Amino acid sequence: MAAAAAAPTRAEVMSLFRSLLRTARQFSDYNIREYTRRRATDAFRENRALGDGADAAAAFADGKKQLEVAKRQAVVYALYAPKAKSIMEMKVQ
Amino acid sequence: MALSRRLLPLLLRRVAPSISPARPLSTAAVTADAEDEEAVTIKGVRISGRPLYMDMQATTPVDPRVLDAMLPFYLSRYGNPHSRTHLYGWESDGAVEEARARVAALVGADPREIFFTSGATECNNIAVKGVMRFYRDRRRHVITTQTEHKCVLDSCRYLQQEGFEITYLPVRPDGLVDVAQLADSIRPDTGLVSVMAVNNEIGVVQPLEEIGRICREKGVPFHTDAAQALGKIPIDVNQMGIGLMSLSAHKIYGPKGVGALYLRRRPRIRVEPQMSGGGQERGIRSGTVPTPLVVGFGAACEIAAKEMDYDHRRATVLQQRLLDGIRGQVDDVVINGSMEHRYPGNLNLSFAYVEGESLLMGLKEVAVSSGSACTSASLEPSYVLRALGVEEDMAHTSIRFGIGRFTTEEEVDRAIELTVHQVKKLRDMSPLYEMAKAGINLKSIQWAQH
Repeated sequence: MAAAAAAPTRAEVMSLFRSLLRTARQFSDYNIREYTRRRATDAFRENRALGDGADAAAAFADGKKQLEVAKRQAVVYALYAPKAKSIMEMKVQ
Repeated sequence: MALSRRLLPLLLRRVAPSISPARPLSTAAVTADAEDEEAVTIKGVRISGRPLYMDMQATTPVDPRVLDAMLPFYLSRYGNPHSRTHLYGWESDGAVEEARARVAALVGADPREIFFTSGATECNNIAVKGVMRFYRDRRRHVITTQTEHKCVLDSCRYLQQEGFEITYLPVRPDGLVDVAQLADSIRPDTGLVSVMAVNNEIGVVQPLEEIGRICREKGVPFHTDAAQALGKIPIDVNQMGIGLMSLSAHKIYGPKGVGALYLRRRPRIRVEPQMSGGGQERGIRSGTVPTPLVVGFGAACEIAAKEMDYDHRRATVLQQRLLDGIRGQVDDVVINGSMEHRYPGNLNLSFAYVEGESLLMGLKEVAVSSGSACTSASLEPSYVLRALGVEEDMAHTSIRFGIGRFTTEEEVDRAIELTVHQVKKLRDMSPLYEMAKAGINLKSIQWAQH
């Protein structure tokens, strides 16, 4: 953990953000997909003011951990996805 | 099926290049064939897709972060946490203790005061019956409220049969208990005061701190059923003077089948255990602690602590959106329970001149309930709403909307649209609504006697 203490560059942050959004799209479940996208967006927006101190490094490390969880769980959700979609994903008749 | 067999490996390759199963991984894929691609048919009801879920007081979906924490303990780390002679036991024990610390941290308790159980119902049973049985020689009286969960009320009934006396306090029309009346009801032989933190049906938050202070002054243990409150409103067992507390995992995006009882150490409150056995959980609850479930509970608590503000803000916005959306389009909608002292993830509404069952049946695409899931099979109106003094016809038309971590704006909008459509349709058919609109007071009508 101590190795990750250096503050991330702007490019690293943007890359993490894009990876999170990409992984969010892979969730087969409507609610989880929307939540992951929304939560990531809000967290990056909130943490914009952190600058380049230790707080930024901690937030970045946490984000990376969240990305790993999301990647694993996107697979699990895909394995057991119900065939019927949520009515939220269907066109209104 | 042929299509999906081709699609599944494709999908998996895209998500995780390392996994590509040669054959279906489980029998689940086979049994799911009964569903066709576009519609779900269950219990004779055909629905075009999976309904949007707004029954968060009944249970919540498992958070993917929780499942991620649990899975290792369903795979290689299967040890019994009480095994003291090998690594399997030690690693499970370590995970259980870590989870215990996380649950304790969320409520400001010491980990040694947390006892894992099967859920809040078991906790309520241990708390209510256990305390009274332990102190039965001196304490013969219990105080509770009329709006408690069934398991508290039923435990009280059971004690009554054993000769204990119970006071069921009424609540005010807003659902809150009268603290002065509670203080007056305490007798020298009162052994327990049990008041739930957040009501499961109407979401009303009771004044825990005041009740805790009164109980502390009078030296009576205070038990609170916090299944609906944990992770949603801040709880501090010391600040609120709580002596015993019931907690549940599946109301906070954790797994079903696990809960925890908080039992104060200083001053010590003792209970008679319900379960005889191996003496796990310091003898309070014998039986092997289910490591994966407990780990999931711990993870859910840790996430809840981090996300409480964020989730609360969102629930507040969505609750307001739902209420404004419905009230803007239909009149005679009544909110059940206090709006001021309420957890925003709960909105319990009654629609006048509408028959409740018809409304619920018409709302097949929204998973909601008229009240508690435990009593959703009965046609009787909710006893909680009756305790508030809600008229029988209004209690019959209640709908409880639950908003959670994963609820979206679009779902709320769809729920508004479907509810408004259904209420208007039913009212158009209703002679009562027509008469009420014509200015006739329905209460003054002399219905013909048969």
